[in-house]
Amino acid sequence: MALRALAACIGLCAALSAAAADDAVAFIDENLDRAPVNTVVPKYPETARRDRIEGEVTVCYRIDREGQPHNVRVRYSSHRVFERPARRAVRASRYAPLAEDQKPSPVKSCRTFRFYLEAVGPED
Amino acid sequence: MPRLASFVLLTMLAGVGVANEMPDSRTVLGPGNALLADGAKALLAGDAEVGVRLTLAGLDLPATDRDRRAAWSNLCAGYVMLDQLDDALPWCNRAVAAGGSWRAYSNRALLHVRAGRYDAAAADIAEADELVADRPRKLREVNALLLDKTHPVRPRVSIDDRRKRTDDDGVR
Repeated sequence: MALRALAACIGLCAALSAAAADDAVAFIDENLDRAPVNTVVPKYPETARRDRIEGEVTVCYRIDREGQPHNVRVRYSSHRVFERPARRAVRASRYAPLAEDQKPSPVKSCRTFRFYLEAVGPED
Repeated sequence: MPRLASFVLLTMLAGVGVANEMPDSRTVLGPGNALLADGAKALLAGDAEVGVRLTLAGLDLPATDRDRRAAWSNLCAGYVMLDQLDDALPWCNRAVAAGGSWRAYSNRALLHVRAGRYDAAAADIAEADELVADRPRKLREVNALLLDKTHPVRPRVSIDDRRKRTDDDGVR
């Protein structure tokens, strides 16, 4: 995680040097350091399981100081049936709160849920 | 009102909501077969025993061909609800043979699933699919029961946080 943050910083150093101090925060994604403390896994929708539908949903959101996701929005979904459980799971998830000297990131975090069906042996 | 009977199918799976498909009673001009209608209502309410009894009695009274076919299909469903699969089969076959609707095939498919005749169930579901444009919910449910027997699956969800950062562009 630290390496990723370092790499991002190196790539952006030129931009940062030209930017005002207030703007700089926009280039540093402190979300990379937000540790999840409770990750809720969405429930597979029964209708989707019944109809053998698999899919993927990417949900983007902001994390407030207390570690609660806000402004949860679906960025991509392969099937609408998965959107609601994905949004609910994100809303119910929590991240570690920020320390007093840390600022919340102005950019969104994203999480991708993949809903898939694993074959098991027949009952009979 | 006797047309009610044609909507009582697969009540054991999802009888609620079928009522929405029922015609307005004010549009019925002539007297119908009250026993068939009451039998259908009982099946819709989940009372298979009463439903079967009333439907059998209704078949002894005059009824339109359409109501009669629906009654056979209802008896198919009713006996399946009662888990009397051997009693259900002749009525299922009769409903299908009489120019069966997708519901008749669907009911018989359910019977076949319950009896473990999965190939026969798949064939009936395929026949039902031929008779209806978009697979209705009840037919999907029967198909799901079949798939759960023949191709059971375990739902899984994985989480990928690799794409952590994004701009607001494209986010809806």
